[in-house]
Amino acid sequence: MATLELDGIKKKYGELEVVEGLDLSVEEGSFTVFVGPSGCGKSTLLRMIAGLEEITAGELRIDGERMNDATPVERGVSMVFQNYALYPHMSVEKNIAFGLKMLGLPRDDIKRRVAAAAETLQIGALLKRRPSQLSGGQRQRVAIGRAIVREPRLFLFDEPLSNLDAELRVTMRVELAKLHRQIGATMIYVTHDQTEALTLADKIVVLRDGAIEQAGTPMELYLDPANAFVAGFIGSPQMNFLPVTTTGTDAGLRLSSAELYALNVVPDGAGWGADMTLDLGIRPEHLQVGEDLPVRFDINVDVVENLGGTRYVYGSTASGKSVIAETRADAIPRAGDKVTVGFDPVRARYFNANGQRLRHKLAA
Amino acid sequence: MTNAQNTHTTVNEERQRLFRRVMVYVALTVVTLIMAFPIIWMVSVSLKPTVETFSLPPRLLPNSLYLDGYTRIFENPQFRRFLLNSYLLGIVVTILSLAIGTLAAFGFSRYRFFGDKAAKLFVITTQMVPSITLLIPFFGVIVWLRLYDTIWGLVLTYLTFALPYAVIMMNGYLDTIPRDFDEAATIDGCSPLGVLFRVLLPVAAPGLISTAVYTFLLSWNEFLFALALTRSVEMRTVPVGISMMVGEFGLKWDEMMAFSVIGSLPVLVLFMLVQRFVVSGLSAGGIKG
Repeated sequence: MATLELDGIKKKYGELEVVEGLDLSVEEGSFTVFVGPSGCGKSTLLRMIAGLEEITAGELRIDGERMNDATPVERGVSMVFQNYALYPHMSVEKNIAFGLKMLGLPRDDIKRRVAAAAETLQIGALLKRRPSQLSGGQRQRVAIGRAIVREPRLFLFDEPLSNLDAELRVTMRVELAKLHRQIGATMIYVTHDQTEALTLADKIVVLRDGAIEQAGTPMELYLDPANAFVAGFIGSPQMNFLPVTTTGTDAGLRLSSAELYALNVVPDGAGWGADMTLDLGIRPEHLQVGEDLPVRFDINVDVVENLGGTRYVYGSTASGKSVIAETRADAIPRAGDKVTVGFDPVRARYFNANGQRLRHKLAA
Repeated sequence: MTNAQNTHTTVNEERQRLFRRVMVYVALTVVTLIMAFPIIWMVSVSLKPTVETFSLPPRLLPNSLYLDGYTRIFENPQFRRFLLNSYLLGIVVTILSLAIGTLAAFGFSRYRFFGDKAAKLFVITTQMVPSITLLIPFFGVIVWLRLYDTIWGLVLTYLTFALPYAVIMMNGYLDTIPRDFDEAATIDGCSPLGVLFRVLLPVAAPGLISTAVYTFLLSWNEFLFALALTRSVEMRTVPVGISMMVGEFGLKWDEMMAFSVIGSLPVLVLFMLVQRFVVSGLSAGGIKG
């Protein structure tokens, strides 16, 4: 178990800066997930922590010790790759034992640790097989086995589930969460799948264009996003954004738009003003089909996605803005229907033209 | 469609399939016979006394089993020397080309450095020069290096042909191996050379073996440079030895063909090994594909 601190970490390829002076601390025993769209620098950052990628500037500390130039073994990291990267010419047993062999451990010790890892991951029966004789899920277990057997200070996972089918991904996700609880090690996990991030993480770090957009617990990011990018990235389906204009004074503003009945907000912090155009963000699960919520407007239904327990209604407002609402009612709207949707203003979030969050108190 | 029509169609399809199969086998047999005829004839002549070689009509099988050609070859220390020279040359050239070629290919495949592309292009262009045009310059260089009429002169010469090939071929194989293996091995504690020897080369074994076979054959079959860069009988190789039978000993067809058969055996054995080892997709399984 270890702590990790990144202090002004930068990565440049020639003139191209892919990671821009990043600060982050990862607590001992935590499960931290780096999430972001393709090309946001999350994998590069992970590889810099692993020691596979040089650090252009800044300092990387593990347990307080500077590790910028240390080898992966000196850093005490192990890594699970997206493509598993199992050595095809070795049996499962030899794959798992390889790192220990490189450390020069005695044979009995290696055998004992491989057996323990195999038991943890329930792959004892596969030890004599070659990677080509395993299924995707089994390969991923072996790859994890290869990582845990070294008892590293830091576990790094680079999109480890993205090659598995949907069902297996869910199973492995639960197993990873269990594994973390069982061994209690510090884990850093990279994914572009926000569901994985929300379900696994103690702390999520949202990255975009090589910079941290927001870092916090899953619920902090879900309930209190720092900007429109995080608000849109975390949560599925994506948050709805409706343009609204403000009138009134800084003490009390009135929001209106083509869709909404007028809505009052009391600003809480800077950035607000009259005659501004803002984005009102409301999550689909908070935009409910029905007449009983305080803020309401009508939509024309385009498609209904029935997930059994819940249904997502994809529609468009009078001004042609696409929105997603939820309904749990048994009466399912049909394409072409006109339905009323509504939300509680407590659930709304506001963002300025640059996507920055504008905080508010609920109007009396 | 009625049942009768259905049955009729099925029978027709079956016949067509059978016909196609027969035609494929006929074509394969004809091509095989054409390709194999010189080898069959070589073996046939090696088993016949010279008088029978030119009998009309030609006969494939000898009247009685005749192994004098082989006996005389094995009894003659000169021929044993030719074989020894060829083996020694082949083995040394193969080992050196693989050792140097693999390291160079690893560099080209895994590292970016100033002039890497130009260097790689240069290696490829060396393969475009017809070797006969290099004969006179090579002769000059080898004499200047005082390696004329030595095995090492030939080793050096053959390396200039085999090494670029080994580099290109191994570079091609290493390029097909995903970098994830390198990174996994680095995380497991391997140095760059450890990555090459412990992980990449075992995965690239088919490539290594085919490169080895090619370089060995290149050296084994080479005639022109072996003839030009050696003088004494003790330094001659198998192809030069075979050619010497024409002038010096008259035309002893049985001996010449027996020696040719013996000379071809390593080639045949190596090809059989290649077939056994070049199993496609050895790397399958380690990486999600």
